[in-house]
Amino acid sequence: MAPRVAIIGLASDFGCQVQITNMEDHLLDVLGLMDLVYWQLASSGHLPDEYDVAVIEGAVTTAGHVETLRTVRETAGVVIAIGSCAVTGGIPALAGTGEYDARYGAVYGDGVAVARGRQSPLPVSSVIEVDYHVPGCPIDPAEFVSVLSRAIMGLKDDVSEDPMCAICKTQENVCFLDRGRACLGLVTRTGCTAKCVSLGRPCTGCRGISSEANIPAARVVYADKGLDPLELDRLFDLYNAAREVVV
Amino acid sequence: MFFRVIDKVRLPDLVRGLATEYEVIAPVEKDGRFVYAPLEDPGLLRLDYDTTLLPPKKWFFPAEETLMRFRVADNEVLNDEVAVAPRVLFGLHPCDINALLLMDNVFTGKYPDPYYMRRREKTLLIGVSCTPSDTCFCNVWDTNEVHWGFDVFLTDMGDRYFASCRTVKGAEIIDRFVENRAVIDEDTREFQSVVHDFKDAFHRDVDTTQLPVLLDAKFDSPIWDEFGEKCLSCGACSMVCPTCYCFDVHDRLDPDQKSGVRARTWDSCQFKEFAAVAHGQNFRDSRASRVKYRYYHKQWGYLSKFERVLCVGCGRCARACPAGINPVNVIAALQTGEVR
Repeated sequence: MAPRVAIIGLASDFGCQVQITNMEDHLLDVLGLMDLVYWQLASSGHLPDEYDVAVIEGAVTTAGHVETLRTVRETAGVVIAIGSCAVTGGIPALAGTGEYDARYGAVYGDGVAVARGRQSPLPVSSVIEVDYHVPGCPIDPAEFVSVLSRAIMGLKDDVSEDPMCAICKTQENVCFLDRGRACLGLVTRTGCTAKCVSLGRPCTGCRGISSEANIPAARVVYADKGLDPLELDRLFDLYNAAREVVV
Repeated sequence: MFFRVIDKVRLPDLVRGLATEYEVIAPVEKDGRFVYAPLEDPGLLRLDYDTTLLPPKKWFFPAEETLMRFRVADNEVLNDEVAVAPRVLFGLHPCDINALLLMDNVFTGKYPDPYYMRRREKTLLIGVSCTPSDTCFCNVWDTNEVHWGFDVFLTDMGDRYFASCRTVKGAEIIDRFVENRAVIDEDTREFQSVVHDFKDAFHRDVDTTQLPVLLDAKFDSPIWDEFGEKCLSCGACSMVCPTCYCFDVHDRLDPDQKSGVRARTWDSCQFKEFAAVAHGQNFRDSRASRVKYRYYHKQWGYLSKFERVLCVGCGRCARACPAGINPVNVIAALQTGEVR
């Protein structure tokens, strides 16, 4: 029997769910592998009571999200977090870098009716155990399919934890740090073939901080390249504001 | 060996001639640095390049390649052919030719690698003399000279090249594609003087006396911990190294899960997963041990097997390492006990 899959969105711009629809060439192949019981973006139905695989997009920003995730974890055998928001807290987590309530009020006013039970944004893994990750902003559809296949076949998560520099070198990019520009590639989880750098933009860390990152050494590198070592930490905030990395 | 003299102004004829029968790969500029790339226009050739971002190994052992396609249902191999067009690598420096000879020991030796071999057999190598850059230390390993491993080597003598043809194929392409003349005594005298000056121009001083003994003696030295603290475990050194040959193999399923590919990608001994094995064991768990064994392998392990160190002093790692770790300062630290 094909596994029953539910695709659930928390706080995000749904961009990663849109990415799934963007893989026109392979969408039917992928849908053929599963029984898609719920897809928040593409259907008006409700999340059913039973499913085998939960694909979660978005950051956790309300008590309702926390409750949803607890139910998801009890229901699904496999949980896959997709996109920066779900994996690291992503851009929503920026809200938590300052006085959260004051920021919220400045944008939405003080009314209690808006986003009841709001909380400082967090990644999915801070609430429930996550079995597979598809990092990135947005996700790479091919990587999503690969991870989904692995999940369906019961293979282990093989997201690479090494920093980005190696794959960037294979693309023959001229190093931004050597040109005196800050780049997060030296501490960011690899796996995207250094797309941004290849297109002329420094890495912004959307795939999350590599568990192998040597942050103190990276600060020394910044200083050696004539950059402010603390610039590294400021740049982290864009996608990794909810990080647990200690300064 | 067979020698010819080519007027410098005639060099584009050679490139254009080669392009009629070969894919010509040569150094071209990219964002202020240089890369080996297919040469679309002889005018883009940059024989004045210092070094390239990636070494020529990528044309024999690509950063990522498909080893085979397979069908899931019956594990049948669908295709494992390597399609290779005749190719010329034009403008290799002596260090990079020497590096390919070191790669050959691994890929064409006891366990020949058909993918590497096919490309190697179909590719002609044309070397060109160079001038030392800030990061080169090839003189330390005597790899600024090359005696074989090329089809033609062009030594720059101002207004002309002294073309050393090492293979019959090399002599043929020179005779067929570019106006040339026989060598006269004056050319040979000047060649000797140019080569002498060239060797004198390299004076990077690194004391490699009894390096294997020094490595063994310093096995437990705190310098390795210091390098471990500096290392970003990013693997940049391995990617840009012309002699790093380690790879990883992954099976990847197609989206329909009915077929897939077995892919080979460059790996690095600086990655934590490099020495991870079943049951969660890891022989090189710490950064310090990974940096240490990189040097033990290159300057000792390979030497003990092939009588050469696995380094040609091209200096690419010295440019690529964000933390400034490279053989010159590692050997200095071994000598002095201090990491600079």
